[in-house]
Amino acid sequence: MKKGLVVFALFLLWILLVYTVIVLPPMGSPENPTNTHIIPRYLEKGVEEGGAHNLVTGIILNYRGFDTMGEVTVIFVALTCVLAVLGRENILRHTSKAEVSSVEKSVIVKCVVRFLAPFIILFAFYIILHGAESPGGGFQGGAILGASVIIITLTFGFALVAKKLSLKYRVLFESAGPLSFFIAGMVAIFCGQNFLTYLLPCVAHTYQDFVRHLLLIMVEIGIGVGGGAAISSIFLAMEKVEKE
Amino acid sequence: MSVSELFYKLNVNFNYVVAMTLFIIGLYTLISKPNLIKKFMGLNIMETSIFLFIVSSGAIAGGKAPIFGEGVGPETVFVNPIPQALILTGIVVAMSTTALALSLMIKLYEQCGTLNADKLKELK
Repeated sequence: MKKGLVVFALFLLWILLVYTVIVLPPMGSPENPTNTHIIPRYLEKGVEEGGAHNLVTGIILNYRGFDTMGEVTVIFVALTCVLAVLGRENILRHTSKAEVSSVEKSVIVKCVVRFLAPFIILFAFYIILHGAESPGGGFQGGAILGASVIIITLTFGFALVAKKLSLKYRVLFESAGPLSFFIAGMVAIFCGQNFLTYLLPCVAHTYQDFVRHLLLIMVEIGIGVGGGAAISSIFLAMEKVEKE
Repeated sequence: MSVSELFYKLNVNFNYVVAMTLFIIGLYTLISKPNLIKKFMGLNIMETSIFLFIVSSGAIAGGKAPIFGEGVGPETVFVNPIPQALILTGIVVAMSTTALALSLMIKLYEQCGTLNADKLKELK
């Protein structure tokens, strides 16, 4: 009875939403309001002003740099909250699921992960460093980096990863995202520009583009490494202690 | 509006229809499942549907990814890059909320021994 009511109400809502879709402008048309507002300007001058061939990277790092800085802070705050709730992983009292599990990990899984993991990590760094030129960027590379840590943990157990990826070094990288934005912004302020301006007039004219590219890459690396470290830290904090 | 016109509209805006359907599926999961993890899966499905909707709204027929480089002339049509940049933000926020919610659920399970919302309501 209750379930039927819910389904009926949701069906009515679905009808309403699909009716809205019917009166929306057709998808894919260049004359849509979403595609006419500010896009011509971005497509025309985006590469010149943003400093990246990948327009999406140019937009998130340059035009909307403040937004992305907030986004990076969101990851950092999420990590802080998770650690406040769960606490850091404790190697000494730890027995992870992967080691306790009575089912032995298959040889195939172990071999494939051992073979692929270096390539996954290499691919993550490629994505991070090439974010300005090709599809990719800091967030995507950071997600791949975190995923590589997760797959290694699931296959080879918690103890190995916690030892190799020691807390001592991971802590330094976790705040890399907000820090790199802060440094890039402060460099601009010391040059007499607004926060997060990448094109610095105090640099010699011939080097301006180079410096801007350098700053963009630094921010990308900060986002990528920071994001990857945050994801792996969140995952490692969630590894459960078995109740005795 | 004639029936053929209706079907034409639905066909052109097919991505939007899928997004709305996914939204309703997520909402149904959120409302009807008692398990908290399943509830959160429903919320994630809803988020994904919104991502699909907004990215689709920036599509342009025959458009390429907005990357300038080789093989790009002055006549090349690009899709709208702004929705993609916005959705990047959305994905990160979705991931962060998911991580926080899961960690709260871990603590909840430790304390109460259940993740069933109906049973949790009865606990005092």
